[in-house]
Amino acid sequence: MSDAVFTLIICFVILMAANVPISVCIGLSTVMTMIVSMPIEPAITQTAQKIATGLDSFALLAIPLFVLSGHIMGQGGIAKRLIDMAKGFVGNLPGGLAFVNIISCMLFGAISGSAVAATSAIGSFMIPEMNKAGYDKNFSAAANATAATTGLLIPPSNVLIVYSLASGNVSVAALFVAGYMPGMLTGGLLILSAGILAFIHNYRGGESISMKEKVKRTGDAFLSLMLIVVVIGGIIGGIFTATEAAVVAVLYSLILAVVIYKEVKISELPEILLQTAITNSVVMLLVGCSMALSWVMAYENIPQDLSQTMLSLSDNPIVILLVINIILLAVGTFMDATPAILIFTPIFLPVAMKLGMDPLHFGIVMILNLCIGICTPPVGTVLFVGCAIADTKITHITKWLLPFFAAMIIGLLLVTFVPEITMWLPRVFGF
Amino acid sequence: MDAIVKVVDKVLAWTLIVFVSGIVIDVTWQVFTRFIMDDPSSMTEEIANFLLIWTSLLGSAYALRVKAHLGIDILTSKFNEKKQLKWEFVIYTFVIFFAALVLVWGGSRLVGITLKLNQVSAALQLKMGYVYMILPITGLLIIFYSIFFMVEASRKLKGQVAA
Repeated sequence: MSDAVFTLIICFVILMAANVPISVCIGLSTVMTMIVSMPIEPAITQTAQKIATGLDSFALLAIPLFVLSGHIMGQGGIAKRLIDMAKGFVGNLPGGLAFVNIISCMLFGAISGSAVAATSAIGSFMIPEMNKAGYDKNFSAAANATAATTGLLIPPSNVLIVYSLASGNVSVAALFVAGYMPGMLTGGLLILSAGILAFIHNYRGGESISMKEKVKRTGDAFLSLMLIVVVIGGIIGGIFTATEAAVVAVLYSLILAVVIYKEVKISELPEILLQTAITNSVVMLLVGCSMALSWVMAYENIPQDLSQTMLSLSDNPIVILLVINIILLAVGTFMDATPAILIFTPIFLPVAMKLGMDPLHFGIVMILNLCIGICTPPVGTVLFVGCAIADTKITHITKWLLPFFAAMIIGLLLVTFVPEITMWLPRVFGF
Repeated sequence: MDAIVKVVDKVLAWTLIVFVSGIVIDVTWQVFTRFIMDDPSSMTEEIANFLLIWTSLLGSAYALRVKAHLGIDILTSKFNEKKQLKWEFVIYTFVIFFAALVLVWGGSRLVGITLKLNQVSAALQLKMGYVYMILPITGLLIIFYSIFFMVEASRKLKGQVAA
């Protein structure tokens, strides 16, 4: 092992263990690795420059904009209308509220692009309601957190934008189309798990709702759902770039929340903008520092060396893909999805491509894998939010998470080894 | 110190609100010029990119203030309260080290070099040194907040000893 690689690993492990913010862990490990391989002044200047230029991309601008539209939707009554609609259709089934929770999270993910926004927007309605109906709060929180991660796959999705950047040549539009089927498959498997759990614990459904009420509720949610057509239709149809579509989403959700639903007051907007700046900066500092790190890794030839090692282990694609998935699952437990994508795409994508995998397919596999990571401790952003809303502890929720993890892992294996699940829809749309 | 922190918080928060609004307005303008006027503005993209760099870096100082950056507390959460407060000094020492070394020192060298080479942006002809100036500014803010957190931690520690 070279001095640089050694420095990188040691710094990273020590700083992580010391509870230093992860972006600072990544940034400091990067600069220490640089200092080992070049004089200090160019090392620090290069690191500073890589952090700033890493953010200099028009595609990345879609992220703060989707975060903003997510925040507006979270407070703008959109979540509630989606929930009411889902309740109309599945609320009467045994365990129905759990299905409503999962489906609403998927729908919210389909219009907002942020898993954390989905957890808090849907969870803060659904978890108390499920509590009242006699569901175990840990079950509610587990269903909520895992379902919210499907929003990472179902477009618009900020992590798909980050992958597009990391892979260099995969279009955001193609990734967005590719995300639908795997996202819905995972959601479906989560519903199946919830159904089995509801059956075992004998959770009953709510009352049936008349056809007339169903139509009315769908009508109420119609304007929210139209956002999917405008934003995703615009991107897939090649009318908008993702960034332009994101600003359209901001304006649309603003009009919906302020003018039509009247649930957000103008005086509340500064706070929403500030929250957006905070969420955005946490992600962007990770992006900048991870870009600097992946630059220094490339400078040290680390991705090439690792790829070669992996390919020399076995020439069986199934074995190598399994190994990649296991490594990513492990990485996902302690690293948020954004830095994981930026750091590991340059390492694993060349390997996957050597095995004949499409970069589009690989991206979806990687993100589905990291979805599992963001609802596992110690770093599980979505899980923390879900637990906070349900007022429970991670240690209590773990038992209830396992059946949902099993569903997600089955989904991951299916998506990994059946490329058609991912590739069919993009092909239909001619990507 | 508390009064100064309050003022810095306010100024920083409103700057961020203005910047995020700026991004929204700028990208809206870009969509408008491209679709309605059919004459895409070449400057909006660059303005938006620079605003993103500024918002993201300045915002990360603010995110530190509201403790939004995540770390892994798997080991430190086992400490008792007093030890956790003491450990804050270790965490913020690393944060200050990063901010001073990379953002302030590295960032101001970068500003100096790009200004000397007269490197300008493609569309706006803006000196890149000005764009990069946000690096040392952010670094100083991060150091400021870290020192504040250390002072707060030591106050709490003293309070505990007194009680």
